[in-house]
Amino acid sequence: MSSYTVSRRGLLAGAGAVGAAAALSGCATATAPAGSTQQGGAVTLQSDLSSPLAEQAMQSLVAAYSKQSKYTVKLNTVAATTYQPLLPTYLTSANPPDIYTWYAGNDADHYSSQGLLLDVSSAWKTMDNYQPALKTLSTDAAGKQIFVPTDYYWWGVFYRKSQFAKWGLGEPKTWSDFVNACATIKAKGAIPIGLGAGTGTAWVAAAWFDYLNIRLNGADFHRDLLQGKHSFTDPKVVDVFTTWKQVLPYFDPNGTAVSWQEASNQLLNGKCGMLLTGTFFADAVPKGSIDDLDFFKFPVIDPSVPDAEEAPTDGLFASSKTHNAAAVLDFMTWMATPTAQNLWTATSSGTVIPANPQATAPSSALVQKGKSMLAEAAQLTQFFNRDSTDALQNTANTALIDFIQNPGKLSSILTTWQSQAEQVWKTA
Amino acid sequence: MTAALRAAVRPRRPHRRGPSRPSPLIIGFVLIPLLVEAVSVFWPAIQGFYISLTHWNGVNPPTFAGLANYRQMAGDPVFRKALEDTALWLVLFGGLSAAGGLGAALFLQRERRGIAIYRAALFLPVVFSLTATALMWQTLYQPNGVLNGVLSAVGLGGWQHAWLANPSTALYAQIVPALWREIGYVMVLYLAGLKGIDPALYEAAKVDGASAWQQFRNVTLPQLRSVNAVVVSVIIIDSLRSFDVVWSLTQGGPYNSSQLLSTYMYQTAFVNTDFGYGCALAVAIFVLAFGVIVSYLVRAFKESD
Repeated sequence: MSSYTVSRRGLLAGAGAVGAAAALSGCATATAPAGSTQQGGAVTLQSDLSSPLAEQAMQSLVAAYSKQSKYTVKLNTVAATTYQPLLPTYLTSANPPDIYTWYAGNDADHYSSQGLLLDVSSAWKTMDNYQPALKTLSTDAAGKQIFVPTDYYWWGVFYRKSQFAKWGLGEPKTWSDFVNACATIKAKGAIPIGLGAGTGTAWVAAAWFDYLNIRLNGADFHRDLLQGKHSFTDPKVVDVFTTWKQVLPYFDPNGTAVSWQEASNQLLNGKCGMLLTGTFFADAVPKGSIDDLDFFKFPVIDPSVPDAEEAPTDGLFASSKTHNAAAVLDFMTWMATPTAQNLWTATSSGTVIPANPQATAPSSALVQKGKSMLAEAAQLTQFFNRDSTDALQNTANTALIDFIQNPGKLSSILTTWQSQAEQVWKTA
Repeated sequence: MTAALRAAVRPRRPHRRGPSRPSPLIIGFVLIPLLVEAVSVFWPAIQGFYISLTHWNGVNPPTFAGLANYRQMAGDPVFRKALEDTALWLVLFGGLSAAGGLGAALFLQRERRGIAIYRAALFLPVVFSLTATALMWQTLYQPNGVLNGVLSAVGLGGWQHAWLANPSTALYAQIVPALWREIGYVMVLYLAGLKGIDPALYEAAKVDGASAWQQFRNVTLPQLRSVNAVVVSVIIIDSLRSFDVVWSLTQGGPYNSSQLLSTYMYQTAFVNTDFGYGCALAVAIFVLAFGVIVSYLVRAFKESD
């Protein structure tokens, strides 16, 4: 009896040892060289635009492209939440998908520094009319273009025109105007500032940090801070929070409990007066209510600091391991044309601005106003996570929600934030 | 026992050549599942352990780091918080679901008309996807949600909270939906156990004049010992992996106040793409789960010997 058991265990141990040896020598972490060359005119487009509206828009884009081209593109839509953690895996795999929807900025630059992204400078030869800021954004540290922007949107303090008229308010231009407007709205019995940083959407609080930092310390300091060149305990960062404290009493007391969807509902039904948000919230706004919506630029705090605005830019990059670079570049060049971008803005929600200035932006007053605000800005930033990493965004979520709930703990919050951030910069 | 019997029987069988060998069919039945298990379970597990000894962000090639990730864990306040929360979760969720499941099973064990409806009703939450469950509870817990509405309606307006956004209530608020589901599952396990108890034991106890409590204490509980081993293992595993409810409700927030080891591991590995440290956390979870279950089973078997 016992000898039988022992021999079976021996077998298992032996198999385990062999497995371990195999695992340690040739691991999942090893990057295999590019495999066989795949001939033919088809390339894969990996897309995280998984909402029904956006997926449909993407499908019609791909269909329109295939109709006029000798190449074909196969669309592969992946749920947005799955896409982000899988992106490094896609890019480092031996036979990766060819083209990816993603955003410009730090993340793309990071992948490019690992040699994972295709040089798309030749597509940029057809894109001379693009804003220089967009070209800078699409250029990696080595000076080559790795990204083709397709569209961008803006952030602003949104409000309802009818409510502001009822309260006798105009658009605040300066910080003191803004604080006064908050006091007026509060006196009228509404919540002055909605937030919506609850359940799963804590990241929206970072918009306040971004804007206060950009307005007080400028976009360059902001970007450097996010890259780890300054500390979160810097007195300039403390300034951001002392300024924030001036309006914190006007924030929705349930701001860290409700999601931004709920916060935008509060804005629409008049429970709250103002909401700092990106235009994506308009996707869920009923058609009738959108005409009553307007926004103003985040108020100027220090007039000596050049205006910068958040303009998160979406677009495409491609894997450097693609077997059909000609097809990839052809598709990306086409996506940069007014034709493709018109199709995109026409079929999607209608609050994004096409990246090509020759393309027709949605004609609504709201979009025109957003477009001119961005055109006047001295600099454009992306958003906290896009200018840094999703890992740093997590540390911000922790610190900012803690601050909003416990403003008195500021100095310990900043010390913790700095040590968490250092950990992130170390592993990046 | 059976192996000894087989060994005794085997030499008597006629063999054409050599000593007795198990048939190729048996070898196949052992080796093929072993191979599948090795490729799909052991190999990734060993790799996970190997990755925990490296710094790896999923893009650069991993660099060997020795025990650096484990040293980092020792000084990480978020890990300590997650460990405490997981222990609290284990005790509260584990204790209450075992007690609740046993209670429900005892209550519903006797066959009455319509009893199946009650059993099904209690088991129903197990069937729902926990993500859907979480969405429902999220609505209940909203600042203007049903729970706060009920509290103010019965004059307990002072007890109202932003349940999921308040760091002192967030963890407990999430144990409730997890329990809501687990109790039905544990109940089914105990119902099966109760059905397996020989009614003659109760009759004998009754003849000896045992009270209901004495019957429970001296007949039911000892007879359920084997089911208990299963229930405890299931509860420990479920509480160490109760990820879905927390991830859908608070993602470990606000500011890590409801962080569990499982959510912290997911966040580290798949959001922060710090796979080295994420795998080190996974190894810690494995050691904990394995340690707790093995120590329980060893004790349980010692008692039964």
